[in-house]
Amino acid sequence: MSGTISLESVTKRFPGGVLAVDDLSLEVEPGEFLVLVGPSGCGKTTALRMVAGLEPVTSGEIRIGDRVVTRLPPRDRDIAMVFQNYALYAHMSVRANMGFGLKMSRVPKQEIRRRVDEAAAMLGLTDLLNRKPRQLSGGQRQRVAMGRAIVREPAAFLMDEPLSNLDAKLRVEMRGEIIRVQRRIAAPTLYVTHDQTEAMTMGDRVAILRDGVLQQLGTPDEVYDRPVNSFVAGFIGSPAMNLLPADLSDKHGDLVVSFGTTQLTVPPRVTESRPGLAGYAGRKVTLGIRPEDFAAAERGDGLANVTVDRVESLGSELVVYLDAGVETPLTVRLERRVELEAGQDAQLAVDLNRLYFFDPESGTAIG
Amino acid sequence: MTSTGWRVAKLVAVLMIVLWSVAPIVLGVSTSISTQREVNAAPERLVPHAPTLKAYRNLLEGTNNQRAGGTVTESGTFLRSLRNSTVLALVSTAVILVFATMAAYAFGRLRFRFGGALFALLVGTLVVPIFVVVIALFKLMAETHLIDTKRGLVAVFVATLTPLATWLLYTQVREMPTEPEEAALIDGCRRWQAFVRVVIPQMSSGIAAVAAILVLSVWGEFLIPLLLTSTMTAKPVTVQITEYVGKYTTNYPILAAAGVLALIPPALLALALNKRITGMLAGSS
Repeated sequence: MSGTISLESVTKRFPGGVLAVDDLSLEVEPGEFLVLVGPSGCGKTTALRMVAGLEPVTSGEIRIGDRVVTRLPPRDRDIAMVFQNYALYAHMSVRANMGFGLKMSRVPKQEIRRRVDEAAAMLGLTDLLNRKPRQLSGGQRQRVAMGRAIVREPAAFLMDEPLSNLDAKLRVEMRGEIIRVQRRIAAPTLYVTHDQTEAMTMGDRVAILRDGVLQQLGTPDEVYDRPVNSFVAGFIGSPAMNLLPADLSDKHGDLVVSFGTTQLTVPPRVTESRPGLAGYAGRKVTLGIRPEDFAAAERGDGLANVTVDRVESLGSELVVYLDAGVETPLTVRLERRVELEAGQDAQLAVDLNRLYFFDPESGTAIG
Repeated sequence: MTSTGWRVAKLVAVLMIVLWSVAPIVLGVSTSISTQREVNAAPERLVPHAPTLKAYRNLLEGTNNQRAGGTVTESGTFLRSLRNSTVLALVSTAVILVFATMAAYAFGRLRFRFGGALFALLVGTLVVPIFVVVIALFKLMAETHLIDTKRGLVAVFVATLTPLATWLLYTQVREMPTEPEEAALIDGCRRWQAFVRVVIPQMSSGIAAVAAILVLSVWGEFLIPLLLTSTMTAKPVTVQITEYVGKYTTNYPILAAAGVLALIPPALLALALNKRITGMLAGSS
């Protein structure tokens, strides 16, 4: 199967005027797993529902494979969708749930049986085929929903937050499961989530949506390393990137960024890769530092005069909240062996090569 | 009030309500197994000296022109009226459910022009008492030759009860998740196929509750059949019972026996579906 899903300038305006999706263009390539991620209300689910045909498109074009499906009803789009609350047919057995789509398209009974058995084996559902959905656990229901989608061998897969209703452990497990199944089926998959961890761990590429507008589309590494604006920077990564109002100044040819009582000299490598940065000398910028780009230090090129506010131990590592003399506390992720206590003064080094700079007005990355 | 005091008060209130509801039934059963003489005796006895099923026999087999305390019964008429009631209740309920289920789904799910206004109009008819339209209704039925026919009664019940059923099912449709039917649409169903194969099964418990409510309503209906029937072709049990009230005197055991028998089918239905009905009326089904 080698279809694609493509959206071209797709816009959705709800009756009443709310603009849910604004001029969205993206393409899910053959076999690709593309994650559409954003905070709640950003239009990601609406976008997915338009691809499914459950929500009419205001303008723009949607194609699945070579076919324009913009005005087609869901049944003619050759897609399968997995819903957040599983959406199983409560009155049917697992077998009937999984075979329903095939039955509707008049596939012979023998063939339905064979394909359901095959999918059930792939998902470990063989022993549950005669149960009703209410007799299954959340994880099992999710598998049935997956199974129902894959037996159809659709041209495209759509998934709407399929893991949100599962507990944390199961969620991690099912993440791997979904990826494994999708790799085998190799149909283009559009996956919607609000969870950036899911986006980063599952997506071949990640599309970040905010207020109906696509912010950035790229591989997980790209959106993590080179966010196009402060929204993406703050949304991708956990804990979130520290975004601080800072002053940029030129000291004897070196750019120096300062906030609170801290002054950091921007290394030439950073300045060279961001030619626009020099133009901000003498102005305010938004400085971004990822929590993981700090390290404990004896002295030197780091933060001075920071006070530890709170320490959270995650077991393997520490998340430390610092008072650095700016409005918002600074979040820092450190190795566990670092010994810090609340109220204590700390010395921390910053990986200066990994500083991010954004325009304080527009939020756009300075490049 | 202390919590004990409160509980005692609640208990007393519940007991009074139960007494209020159950007393007529107890009295009815007791009367139906008494003799006319015992009923008229003073002081009254709740448990007759010699319980007898004579009243039931008289009711079902006819009094054969015996003087039975003013009440005349004919063999077969009472059963006929029970059958009429059953047919009326079942047919009306079936027809109403077909309309109401579809209407409830349409109003609850689909966006269409004037949908809200139409729904308001439909539900608005619930507050119009039947008395207001009774004369017009009679005239209409007379002109269409539907007086004293089961068809005519069914038509009236369908017209008067469909709004209630639609409204009850509408609340259920609104509370139902949309995803299963959307999944069905994606799985290859047309809208009506999704409705038949996925929505209706999902609504089955609500439909059962509404069906019971409708059967009970039609069974207990009195005014409309009283006006619109005159012979045994269509007369339901509620109207037939009044025939056992004599002009000068009444055989109370026969009257009570008729009441008890008329009560059994709806009582069984209510017992069987008790939980679903209360759930539906409380809006939690």
